[in-house]
Amino acid sequence: MKFSLARQALILAALSLLPGVGQAIYFRDKISWQSPIPPSEMVSVDRAREWGDGVIWIDARPDDEFAHDHVPGAVSLNEDRWNELLPQFLAAWSPGKKVIVYCSAQSCDLAREVAERLRKEAQLPDVFVLEGGWEAWVKKNR
Amino acid sequence: MKTHVLTLALSFILCLTARAELKWEQTAVELHPAKGDKQAIGHFKYQNVGKTPVHFKSVHASCGCTAAQSQKDQVGPNEKGEITATFNIGDRTGTQIKTVTVETDESANQKTVLTLKAVIPQELEISPTFVFWKQGEKADPKSIAVHAGKEFSVKHIKVTSSSPDFQTKVQETGEGQFKVDVQPNETNRLMASTLTIQAENSPKTFYATARITTAPTVPGAHGVPGAPTIQKAPAAPPGGPTAPARPPAPTSQTH
Repeated sequence: MKFSLARQALILAALSLLPGVGQAIYFRDKISWQSPIPPSEMVSVDRAREWGDGVIWIDARPDDEFAHDHVPGAVSLNEDRWNELLPQFLAAWSPGKKVIVYCSAQSCDLAREVAERLRKEAQLPDVFVLEGGWEAWVKKNR
Repeated sequence: MKTHVLTLALSFILCLTARAELKWEQTAVELHPAKGDKQAIGHFKYQNVGKTPVHFKSVHASCGCTAAQSQKDQVGPNEKGEITATFNIGDRTGTQIKTVTVETDESANQKTVLTLKAVIPQELEISPTFVFWKQGEKADPKSIAVHAGKEFSVKHIKVTSSSPDFQTKVQETGEGQFKVDVQPNETNRLMASTLTIQAENSPKTFYATARITTAPTVPGAHGVPGAPTIQKAPAAPPGGPTAPARPPAPTSQTH
């Protein structure tokens, strides 16, 4: 009796695994749950604090979120108004300064995209994305 | 024993057939907006092929630039509908991939990720979009490469500097390829210029920036004291950005 119960449990467990295995195979090339940002291009709030004044903060969130609140001294730069905002950021930049881009942790594609454009199009060095985004900064500083 | 297994299997099959299930026509859409389009809209159609209603719990996009909307909150059996994802192009370029996560009360597949890929045509590719000289550095010219994007034929470009302190010279280096040399008159003072780059017969304007920067980083310079005032590029009005309003004595070079 015990043996047959164990066998039934095993059969059920195996059946329950099938959809998961099927989905993993079907979606293997479609969705990546890993961050597309290499660790070397990210910086933690603590590390950013160590860099002190040698940093320019960029807020990549939409205008209304920036207007509501932002890291003190941060410059707004988003892709909605890239052509208008980029010169304002470049006026604040000088060689040797590190650039830290952040957005909301829920929509952190924005920071990655802004950082990528600064590296590729403006060819700026030392551009980083803030780990955990705006929420992480608030948690450590407020 | 056989009866138990059969009962379990039957219950399992019954559960599968009785469940609510949204079947998506496609979960990935590729869009090719035309030059000058402000939005790209993706339609994700579905049908409830199950036997019970499906309720949408949430529909949210991966970024603020995309608005996702469901036509209804509840989808009855055999009912069809669609989720609309509107992507605001803004000043974005190249290939953009945005996702919309749809959450339902289905027992089997509560979350579906819809992918919207928009390939935005780019008339001119400019690299780099920023050239600078450190204060006191030799005022040698620096180059900006300008290439016509795929599907575009550009024979001439016009480059205008917003400041007479910077000179520009355009050279054609190949079919649809240009080299723009930018040279400051001097590098002893902090100054900047917005360079507007325009293909002939096109209203679309592209921008690059030239600056004389402070050398090296000054601690406490955050907040931009001492930074030069530069000609601000204009906001992009509907239909694309325009050239800066009344740039101070612009100098331009056409090829």
